[in-house]
Amino acid sequence: MHALREATLSVEAGELAALIGPSGSGKSTLLLCISLIELPSSGAIVIRGHQAWRDGRSEVDARRFRRENIGFIFQGHNLIPFLTAQENICLPMRLNGVGKQAAARRARELLGYLEVANRADVLPATLSGGERQRVAIGRALANEPPIVFADEPTAALDTERGMKVMGLLRRVAQDRRSAVIAVTHDHRMIEGFDSVYLMNDGRLARQSALTGIFR
Amino acid sequence: MDLALRDIRRHLGKFFATIAGVGMLLAIVLVMNGIYRGNIFDGIWLIENTAADLWVVELGRGGPFNESSRMPGDAHKSVAATPGVARASPFISYAAQREVGGTSQQFTIIGYEVFGGLGGPGRLVAGRRLEAAHWEAVADTRLGLDLNSSLRLGSHAYTVVGLTRGAVDPAGNPVIYLSLPDAQEVLYQQDSHALVAARAASAKRLERAGYSSAEAAKLLPLLAGSSATVNAVLVQLAPGSETDAVKTHIERWLHFSAYTAAEERDLMLEGRLKKMSAVLGLFRSLLVVVSIVIIALIVYVLTIEKIRPIATLKLIGAPNHVIVRMILEQSLALTLGSFAVAYALMILARDRFPRTLILLPEEIAITFAVMLAGGVLASFMAIWHALRTPPSLALGG
Repeated sequence: MHALREATLSVEAGELAALIGPSGSGKSTLLLCISLIELPSSGAIVIRGHQAWRDGRSEVDARRFRRENIGFIFQGHNLIPFLTAQENICLPMRLNGVGKQAAARRARELLGYLEVANRADVLPATLSGGERQRVAIGRALANEPPIVFADEPTAALDTERGMKVMGLLRRVAQDRRSAVIAVTHDHRMIEGFDSVYLMNDGRLARQSALTGIFR
Repeated sequence: MDLALRDIRRHLGKFFATIAGVGMLLAIVLVMNGIYRGNIFDGIWLIENTAADLWVVELGRGGPFNESSRMPGDAHKSVAATPGVARASPFISYAAQREVGGTSQQFTIIGYEVFGGLGGPGRLVAGRRLEAAHWEAVADTRLGLDLNSSLRLGSHAYTVVGLTRGAVDPAGNPVIYLSLPDAQEVLYQQDSHALVAARAASAKRLERAGYSSAEAAKLLPLLAGSSATVNAVLVQLAPGSETDAVKTHIERWLHFSAYTAAEERDLMLEGRLKKMSAVLGLFRSLLVVVSIVIIALIVYVLTIEKIRPIATLKLIGAPNHVIVRMILEQSLALTLGSFAVAYALMILARDRFPRTLILLPEEIAITFAVMLAGGVLASFMAIWHALRTPPSLALGG
């Protein structure tokens, strides 16, 4: 029994890819595999020409890999509740060994880029949903990772706000040259992606025609 | 980035309420330590502060503090004649509860031979020692008496000519020093009506036995109990004399029991103080365990509340030591904060506490070390849970 079979996914830098499929189809497993949280029994994960996973790699290596290569945007934002917006963005950098001053400088720059510079010293509980989403995006971009995973980034938003987030992800992909992979069920936003992959029973297939996918 | 301090900063109210609660519990632990040591200190204070080499008491008795001991009033004369004895003085000690300074107070009266006898007050904080055979007293400051104030005991008023500080009996009650005859009078004084009734009853018993009224009246003084008894004789040995030889002589020839000051102290520690010390020791051990368990539960709950942020930290690549450090620091902050609160409370309570509190720095340090180690141990359960949390928990709604 395999959770994933024939799941080949290739995303270019600057590309915005959607991963869709019914619940239990294997989307999360694929995401966990690419993040080296679950290790695949066979196959390869290649980032910028380098194989990410090899036998004998430890949990410590996996965490370092995630710190350096993947930014996560969670459906519920998952900001650390006791850190301010700026500290949340600083956190991945500090974990990656970036100095305090340099991390703070870059965090301020990201807050400005995401248009929430005025909320730098505020705790997540007092931020609006949109502001939290932006800070979460800032945290995902902190270490300039080649891959950004977004888990249902527009699920809880109305169409207008969802479009704004899609615009933001598009900017991130293009400006930062990151490959953005979003797991989504939001059919309203599907046309905003460069490519769409449909996961079904552990098999992944790229969809050439975007219209009618959710029918 | 210090995650523990930032989490505490966000929950300052909860944190301070917790350290206040645990601090009060730890304060009880420290006070128990103080009572435990104070109990021993009070228990042997009189023995330590009476310059006696030997305590001579009624044969077979563990007196005069552990058990009652009654000896003839002139017993000190035969003890003084023992080879190797430099000085022997009568000593009387008994608990009393009388009205002093407008309130009913419990204290111990000590009677000693004022002119050159052993067993009198040690260092005075005010006034002088007893210099007259009657109507003078030296009292401890805990009784609230002033110098030159008057203290009524029985049918006489005594003038307070000197004050001691910390002179206590084995129960921790303050001490009043009187001359031996005064102390005996206060102890044996009877109400005149009771005395008349007792004499009448004795006369009736004699008449029933066949004596005439005139004969019974002549015999009555012989039947009256002596009020000249003492509880102990305090002995100072002559230089170069052998303690054991003197003890053996007193026991064999005078039929009294004799204890060295060290034996008298051991009698107190092994007898009267043993159970109390064991109970206090047990209580403080239990309280330390309860405090550690409470800290463990609080740290565990604090960690469980953060389990999703911990999963997020693991997902974004935080090494385990970052998570372990966060939990350990919170546990240590709780322990240190609680101990600081406990220490402050104990210092505040020390002078107002009704019993002697002896706070030994090394004992405070040991309690602190035990709590610190306990705090670290307490965080293990939380650390174990945090390290087992899968990073995938951060994914999904």
